[in-house]
Amino acid sequence: MRKLATDVVVIGGGSTGIGVLRDCAMRGYRTILLDRADLAQGTSGRFHGLLHSGGRYVVSDPESARECASENSIVTRIQPDAVECTGGLFVTAPGDDPEFGDRFLAGAALTGVHAEEISVSTALAREPRLNPGITRAILVEDGTVDGWQLAWSAAQSAIQHGGQVLTYHKVTQVHHGDGMVNGVTATDLKTGEEVWIECSFVLNCAGPWAGQITHMAGLPPVAVIPGRGSMIAMSHRLVNTVINRCIYPADGDILVPVHTVCVIGTTDHKVDDPDHLAIPRDEVQQMLDAGEELIPGFRQARALHAWAGARPLIKDDRVAASDTRHMSRGMAVIDHSVRDDVRGLITIGGGKLTTYRLMAEHIVDAMEEQLGTSHPCTTAEEMCPGNEAGRNYMITHRLKEREEDRSRSPIICECELMNRDMFVSLLKEHPHANLDDLRRQLRIGMGPCQGGFCSTRAAGIAVEEGVVDAERATGLLKLFLENRWTGTWPILHGDQVRQVGLDNWILQGTLDIAHVPSPTKVETDPVDDPVPSDPVDDPVPSDPVDDPPLHDAVDDPVLADPGEEPVPSDLGDSPPTDPMTESPPTDPVDWKEAT
Amino acid sequence: MTDTVVIGAGLAGLSAAIRLAEAGQKVTLLSFGLGGIQLGQGTIDVLGYRGADTLVERPFDEFAAWATEHPDHPYSLLGADVVRDSVDWLAARLPDLLVPGDGRNHPLPTAVGAMRPTYLVQPSMVWPDPTSVAVVGPAQIKDFYPHLVAANLAVTAQVEATGYRIDLPARAGEAESSPVVYAKALEDPDVLARFAEAVLDQIGDEDAVVLPAILGLHQCVQPQLAALLKRPVVEALLPPPSIPGMRINEALTAQAKAAGVRVILGSKVTGFESDGSRVTAVTLHQAGRDQSYPASHVVFAPGGFESAALVMDSYGTITEPVFDLPLAGLDRDDLITGDYWADQAIFAVGTRVDQSCRPLTGDGEVVYENLHTVGGLLAGAIRWTEKSGDGIAVASALRAADAILSPTGTWSPPASPTDQPPAPEVVQTLQEDAEDDADPATTPSPPEEDENV
Repeated sequence: MRKLATDVVVIGGGSTGIGVLRDCAMRGYRTILLDRADLAQGTSGRFHGLLHSGGRYVVSDPESARECASENSIVTRIQPDAVECTGGLFVTAPGDDPEFGDRFLAGAALTGVHAEEISVSTALAREPRLNPGITRAILVEDGTVDGWQLAWSAAQSAIQHGGQVLTYHKVTQVHHGDGMVNGVTATDLKTGEEVWIECSFVLNCAGPWAGQITHMAGLPPVAVIPGRGSMIAMSHRLVNTVINRCIYPADGDILVPVHTVCVIGTTDHKVDDPDHLAIPRDEVQQMLDAGEELIPGFRQARALHAWAGARPLIKDDRVAASDTRHMSRGMAVIDHSVRDDVRGLITIGGGKLTTYRLMAEHIVDAMEEQLGTSHPCTTAEEMCPGNEAGRNYMITHRLKEREEDRSRSPIICECELMNRDMFVSLLKEHPHANLDDLRRQLRIGMGPCQGGFCSTRAAGIAVEEGVVDAERATGLLKLFLENRWTGTWPILHGDQVRQVGLDNWILQGTLDIAHVPSPTKVETDPVDDPVPSDPVDDPVPSDPVDDPPLHDAVDDPVLADPGEEPVPSDLGDSPPTDPMTESPPTDPVDWKEAT
Repeated sequence: MTDTVVIGAGLAGLSAAIRLAEAGQKVTLLSFGLGGIQLGQGTIDVLGYRGADTLVERPFDEFAAWATEHPDHPYSLLGADVVRDSVDWLAARLPDLLVPGDGRNHPLPTAVGAMRPTYLVQPSMVWPDPTSVAVVGPAQIKDFYPHLVAANLAVTAQVEATGYRIDLPARAGEAESSPVVYAKALEDPDVLARFAEAVLDQIGDEDAVVLPAILGLHQCVQPQLAALLKRPVVEALLPPPSIPGMRINEALTAQAKAAGVRVILGSKVTGFESDGSRVTAVTLHQAGRDQSYPASHVVFAPGGFESAALVMDSYGTITEPVFDLPLAGLDRDDLITGDYWADQAIFAVGTRVDQSCRPLTGDGEVVYENLHTVGGLLAGAIRWTEKSGDGIAVASALRAADAILSPTGTWSPPASPTDQPPAPEVVQTLQEDAEDDADPATTPSPPEEDENV
């Protein structure tokens, strides 16, 4: 058993957990974040990519609108490379009540959300594919955000401040004695090793899985009601501005241009198990219809991939449990010292990716209140590493970079303009990563061919660079293709059928990939997690759309795969108690990424 | 006026066009794309696997069992003898490009290190049964990673295999070269000599050398390279564009043109004209307008979903957009499943045909008397996992051509040496419900021009 000691353990590597890690670390707490999979592999990576201006909530939830407006500008400033400043439009589609626009403008004025009505012709000139039948258009400051970039750059910032990130570590128990939390045990899924982490505080940021964590602490159940939101990525950016319906938030009323695609979203259905999110065909039809209302001809566009995320809603007795849309979208904080007489444990539910930083601030404030300490929060002031001040993401960045380096490094994924050097450099940082882990940071395999060409190259390079052996590489390749298919088959139609035919012809036909030996399970570790069942995976960003919910911030994933393996240091033997007071100096491992 | 319009420039379309033109017909070949041969592996498959993991060693020996298990498969209609004769016909036409078949599949290395079964290989692909191989790839070819290939071949081919990288740009300053650029560069003897030197510089005393299939486009330089390396050299399969496929495509296209086929590429067939029972012309969208190509017969060889010859719309409706032909294989609710490794039934959707390869309605009626569908459009096969696409393409194309060449426009089995009249069942379809296929009245005519090769 490996032993570590720290002040705070954060459970859950979604945007909330990472925000909390960063905040704790910046306030001087020794903090370790655990996730059973990779960062932002759950809800924070399974949303549509909207960075709210607040416009969506000006009528339904003015407080959220205010928070979104201010956090939008903070995130845009401190993590510019994760954010594209696309602007957003709220449009009144044919059949929508034009009067809602008046309420919208009034709400925007009250909440400080910048909104300006523009003429329909101006809107159509800006977005020529928009339904010409729209009757009103209001311009807001929506942006789009890459949930993985956001998570990783915040994590890097936390690491610079001494925080540690242990991915692929599954929590198995939260220990407490004498009414006080004293440690967490986890399993390193890459090695099977048990890890004991002595700590005096646990922040449960596990999102849809938060109830499972409180269960591991032996506490009365916290009812988390996962709300499944499904989304579809369409090839190409049919619009370059976020398009919202100017109505009370509903299903399928938003189209978000992110990277090379645009995402239509989303639905909201209560589910029992956040690890198994199916994407029913009727939901796909519903979203395609919704797209058609915003962009005539939408059904003829090419649908690439679908995924679903689970909104982490904590049950609110005021509304029916099956109506997740109308449950509180705000963050819910459960202080277990009050609820269960256990000090040192706070559970967080709800939230929105856009306001992840503010939520983290509130959570760490709550922790400090219980501890009787107080340090200033500085997370809004410091830019995260890997960013250049004022240089927000633009879709043309990679093109420019490849034009500059194409004579030095071959382009491995043509769809997403990812070259060999990018791949090798991240792979060497994360030698235990699977291809999906790398995909989330590099976008390999996320374009129109969905891995048809780049996946075998990735496997070959991993072997050539000596990072993995051929058997594991072949296993990773097969796993990657299986996972891509998970998001392809539920929406397969049109040109993507043609692509799948070609991909199958190449991979299964010409190369005969099915008959190359691979391990029965790529990960040799004892992973008892569920395998991805359904379409879940992918794209870009996070947050659900609609109204309700979300915060997506926290969470973790679903896939059982391989990931990386941090190298921890050992601490000696006895599981210490009483951590907070004085923690044994250990030096926790830091993750290779640190530096 | 054209006797026959052939639509599609893949293996099926070219085979049919050549057969018809050489028999004296005026043939026009229309194609929107370049044809599928260069997207494939550049060998001729017949049958490589029965089921997911049962490797086929002698494909024709499997046909009887295959037909029992897969009554709706094109091979059940065509039969072992026809398919064998057809691929032999092709091999005979391409003596420099295809090693004659001996009834057995060849094992062929691929860019992921599989040993893939195929029936007719190019001479540069014959596996010499080495005990050790050097797997070598230029850094500029980004679809071939020798270390991965070598490690997998060690298992799949049971050889000692070592991977080596060489760094030799096909054109100065290129970090990556397309296989086409590289293959053309190697046709220059000086470049080939430098290439050989770079290889020799790396490898040890292995029995043979495996290289990606880039050894010359218009002229395969594998023999010269083998001489320079003083050991057998084997080309391994890459993703497209397939250099071996381009060699076959060029040769067959040249033969078609030499036989008088008029080849029109780059324009899409968008519709047709009919008198009700026959197609009288097809409509080509060309240079911004529709143009009519009248014909007595039509061979429709457009491929499958991969070439948009079949399409599924966003509501899940599957159609064949040019002739709106009836499709078989739709009557199931698991056309697409979530298991990546399972054969997806959608890709077996296609036309069900009679013995003359004429599409049939669900009731077994011939749709148009003079329209024949061949190749990837035929229902019942998952070509890429079976490794069956080429055999289906050539055999069905020749079958359609022979039907067209017969005085009745339908195919009948060749007369036996004793001159028996053809059995009446010839017109029967593969399925049980073939009752009244075409016009039984016409069937009895003895096939005069069949089997002319």
